Amino acid sequence: MEAPPVSVLPITGGTINMMEYLLQGSVLDQALESLLHRLRGLCDNMEPETFADHELVYLLKGQQGNPFLLRARRSLSHPTVPWHLRYLGQPEVGDKSRHALVRNCVDVAASHSLPDFLNEMGFRMDHEFIAKGHIFRKGVLKVVVSKLSRILVPGNTENTEPLSLSYLVELSVLAPAGQDTMSEDMRSFAEQLKPLVHLEKIDPKRHM
Amino acid sequence: MGVTCVCQVPLAEGKSVQQTIDILHKKLEQLSAVKQGNFTVDCETYHATGNASGQPTKLLYVMHNSETPLSCLALFEGGPCLTADGNFDVLMIKLKSHFQNAKGHKVESRGSRYRYCDFLIKVGAVTMSSSARGISVEVEYCPCVVPGDCWNLMKEFMQSFLGPSIPELPSVFATKPEGLYVPADCVDTMTQYLELFSKVRKQQVLPGTTR
Repeated sequence: MEAPPVSVLPITGGTINMMEYLLQGSVLDQALESLLHRLRGLCDNMEPETFADHELVYLLKGQQGNPFLLRARRSLSHPTVPWHLRYLGQPEVGDKSRHALVRNCVDVAASHSLPDFLNEMGFRMDHEFIAKGHIFRKGVLKVVVSKLSRILVPGNTENTEPLSLSYLVELSVLAPAGQDTMSEDMRSFAEQLKPLVHLEKIDPKRHM
Repeated sequence: MGVTCVCQVPLAEGKSVQQTIDILHKKLEQLSAVKQGNFTVDCETYHATGNASGQPTKLLYVMHNSETPLSCLALFEGGPCLTADGNFDVLMIKLKSHFQNAKGHKVESRGSRYRYCDFLIKVGAVTMSSSARGISVEVEYCPCVVPGDCWNLMKEFMQSFLGPSIPELPSVFATKPEGLYVPADCVDTMTQYLELFSKVRKQQVLPGTTR
C-alpha cells in the first residue's frame, strides 16, 4: 500500500478563491415544459438530471456586524451522499456594466454530522426549504430550474407547500477570481432563452 | 484501514528526539519492516470569539492526516466532529472574525511510514512552533476492525520494537471493545492524536531539542 504524497496546499486568499457568477429569473408553472424543451436543445447532450434537495440556512450572530450566513444542503433523492455546505460572500461592487452578479463562493463537502456540528459552532438555523427541479449543463455553465417549497412542520420534509406558482431559473458558473469573460458568455446564453425567461443580475440586498 | 493505536514514546536514556527515532527505525528495519514514504498529521486550534463572559472559550480543532490528503477533520473535544473536504480550511479563513486561529498552538507529527506484513507503523517527531516536543508512534493492524479481537496481537507486536514502553488500551476502544472501529473516516485515530497533542501542549519543551 503506497503512501499518499505528503504535500502542502497553498491556503492563501488569492490562489483558491472561487467566484460564483449568477443570473436569475423565473417562469410560471405553465411555461416550464417549453423552457425545459429549449434547454434540452441548447445544453449538453446528457441524461436529464432531476434533483430534490433540502436546504437549511444557518446564521452565526457575532459581536458586531452582519450575521455570518452558511447554507447546508442535502439530497433527498440520494440520502447517503455527503452534505454540501456553501458560503457566499457579498456581491462584488464594481463594474456596473458587468452582466452577472459576482460573489466569492466556498463549497465544502461534509459528513452527516453537519447540523449538530454547526450548532456546536454557535450557528442557529434561520430557515429551511425544499428545492426540486432539473439541472442542465453547457460546458462550465450550469442551469438550474427549481421549485421551492416551504416546510410546514420543522424537520418534516414530506409536508411541504410551494412558495409560489413559478419556478426559479438560475444560470451560474464557478470560476477562479479574475475571469471576467464569464459574464459575457452567460449573457449570450441568456439571450438564447428569451423570451421564455429573462435572466438578469439580481441584487440580493435590494430584496432583504 | 484497520484498528489503529497512537501512543507517545518516551525518549531513550540520554538521547535526543531524533536519536530515539533513529533507534526505533533501526529496530523496525531489523524486523524487516519496509519504509514506504512519509506521513504527517497536524492539528490547528481555533478559539471561538464572542462567547458570553464567564463561559469557557470553546476550542475547535481542525486536523489533517496525509493518509486522507483531501479531507480534514474538525472537532470539539468531547463534542461532535465533522469530516469535510480541504475547502473547510478556506471556510475557517472566512470565519476568522468568529474563530481565531491560535497559530502558536499548531502541533504536528511528521516522520516515516513503515510497512511490516499486515501492520503499518508511523514514527513521528511531534513539534509545536518548530520545537520538538516528543515522539508519536502509530500502529495500525490493517485486516481487523474490531479492537477486542486484535488488541493482544497489537500489544505483542509493539513490544517487539517498543520494548517495555507499550501503551494501555486507548480510551476510544474502551467504549467499544466488541464493537466496530470506524476506520473509514479516521475519527478514532484522530481522536487519539488529539489526546496526544493535548498532552504534548501541556508538557514543557524538552531540553536541548530545538530542530
